[in-house]
Amino acid sequence: MIKEVVNVKNKGKKHYMAVEFEPSTELTGGAWYDDDGNLHVEFINIVKKCCLQKIKQLKVATLETVLQLFKTSGVFKADLKEHHFEEILGALVLDNEVMEVKSNGMGEFGAIPEGKVCYKAFDKQRVGAAAEPRIGAMASMPCGVCPRIRSCTPDGVVSPSTCVYFQKWLEF
Amino acid sequence: MVSQHGILYAVHLITNQFGNLVAKVCECLLRNGALTLQAIVRRTELSPAKVRNCLLVLIQHNCAQAFILEESVSGEDAGEPGKALTQYIALFVNILHRVRFSKFMDVVSKELGGSCGELFRGLLEHGRLTVKQIVDRAGANAKESTNTVQEDLGKLVMAHYVECCPAPEPLVPPPDADTKKRAKSSKVMVEPLTLEQRVMAVAMPSAMRRFSFVPNADQVADDQQNVNQPPSKDVGEKRKLHDLESDTALEEEVECNWRANFEELLRRLRHKTCVDTIKVRFDDAAATVLSAMLEASRAEEDKVKTANSVPLSLNTIYEEVVKNEKNHSMTFDHVRTCLEELSCPPTFVKTDDESYSIDFTKITEAAQSEEIESIVLKRFGETAYKIFRLLFRAGCLMETDKIADRIFAEKKETSKTLFKMWQDGYLLMEKLVVGGTTTGPSYGGSSYLLWKVNKRLLRETILDEMFHAALNLNLRLAHEIDQNKEVLNLPPDKREGPDKQKFDRLRNVRLLIHSSLMKLDDAIMLFHDF
Repeated sequence: MIKEVVNVKNKGKKHYMAVEFEPSTELTGGAWYDDDGNLHVEFINIVKKCCLQKIKQLKVATLETVLQLFKTSGVFKADLKEHHFEEILGALVLDNEVMEVKSNGMGEFGAIPEGKVCYKAFDKQRVGAAAEPRIGAMASMPCGVCPRIRSCTPDGVVSPSTCVYFQKWLEF
Repeated sequence: MVSQHGILYAVHLITNQFGNLVAKVCECLLRNGALTLQAIVRRTELSPAKVRNCLLVLIQHNCAQAFILEESVSGEDAGEPGKALTQYIALFVNILHRVRFSKFMDVVSKELGGSCGELFRGLLEHGRLTVKQIVDRAGANAKESTNTVQEDLGKLVMAHYVECCPAPEPLVPPPDADTKKRAKSSKVMVEPLTLEQRVMAVAMPSAMRRFSFVPNADQVADDQQNVNQPPSKDVGEKRKLHDLESDTALEEEVECNWRANFEELLRRLRHKTCVDTIKVRFDDAAATVLSAMLEASRAEEDKVKTANSVPLSLNTIYEEVVKNEKNHSMTFDHVRTCLEELSCPPTFVKTDDESYSIDFTKITEAAQSEEIESIVLKRFGETAYKIFRLLFRAGCLMETDKIADRIFAEKKETSKTLFKMWQDGYLLMEKLVVGGTTTGPSYGGSSYLLWKVNKRLLRETILDEMFHAALNLNLRLAHEIDQNKEVLNLPPDKREGPDKQKFDRLRNVRLLIHSSLMKLDDAIMLFHDF
């Protein structure tokens, strides 16, 4: 008669629904959530990896190009819409795997209308390019990443003379 | 306004180089702004003679500047009403430059050679010198002839690496009324000059005077003095006055002090940072083209924080590229391709009607973002890294759930990370209460937490942390040396076994800390000076 449905926005409470109804994406979370209401991390990572591969092949791609490629290939059984791919591309930008830029209609952007948002992969195969993001000056020393830096004073309990992170860093 | 750790770091540098007394006076100025001699004496509880000597040392080494405010003086230091009193201000930027001497030496030696470098070293060590002092020093050290030394000094002045020192006690007018009017009518916000900037703007000699060096001026002065002496007694007052004026002018010419021009050196280091940033993001060819553009437009740059370089044509850029023997193999088309790449978004090079100009602001911001993101990633983790990049790019308030959705993270983890970043000053937080009665959200309303990156505040926070880190590195090094001073005092042939291990460890510690300090100083320049 009734079934339990997961509400991703309020997982603590139980929600029930008549069996003949299907819960909306507001309750289920949509394509990115599994039946238990948890984020489907593995699926998301697979989609991200596929999108990144396509962009690397094309060098520069728009959202529509990526969407079209996946529609025609039929790689994913899940019904992924344009906004899903937009979210994935946004996530790739935040991962620093691709750049979101506006086409200037020149060079490698020649095929894309000027002003159109497109995505360009970072060329990590280029000679001298680092596989990982470069570690900055602050991040390469203990104080730069210390969770106690605000309590650190020259003569305090936490100080450069007594710091255990410094001790470890200077172990030769 | 200098941050707390900026002051501590600057005071530490002065203590190391000039001792506790000078550092005490310097700290007093850094914490209290411009002060008269009496005010410094009162605050430091040192004798006037000691304070005066400390100020002389600071001024000699360009870490302080004296000046007189044109506005009438009132308050605790007023002697006679309206009497202008000399005040002193610490030059925080110049204090920071003291750790960069090796970088400045590198720039000068590479461009002008070893003998110019050696002369320049003397100016850095002594702060400011007259021509006679420069010549005497070179003669004592390397047995250089006067002509050679003057030639080298001429080269340094021509390249703007050395300048005539500022006026000892300039009269500083009140903030320009015109500037205020311009600021009101202009749509662009004009940041008012700090007192330090106003003082230095007035103290600096004119551009012509600042970089005008006449070799053998002392010889000319001697000759003139010989000519002027006996006849002036017979001619009378008019001649005496003329002699006095010419003597004074020659005195000024002869006694002009010369010092390193930090502005030009900072500009070169900024260029170097831009080239390095481009090299990492693109390749060596793009860096070569950018370097050529910087060289070709250098003469037109009038300040360190220029937003854009002057526009250059493709032909000009190509000619500059191939001037360097190493780049003879670069073709015209290759240079054009590099420029097109650099002009692609993000636009580090702007194009306008067949001309190209460098967007320094974009390159600097890209380098700053990279540095901040690196800290966030290492300190708070990958989730924080994505959150930060999202909020930095958005530039507006965003609600917790929306952030979690955009970065594909669990809401609990997102919330925890946001709070950690907020506690360390990397994010701003605002609470939004929607609905409910006047008695609170519990009566039917909801509260949401909104998050944002305030770029200006964040840069200040990061800069203060950098000063703190630089101070800590120095203190740790001092601690390590202190802990191992017995080993350091041992003669090399007596260092065996555990002593030798300690000595080797200390050597490695010194190398690591020094190289970290240099790298950190590059980052400090990126956030503070560029």
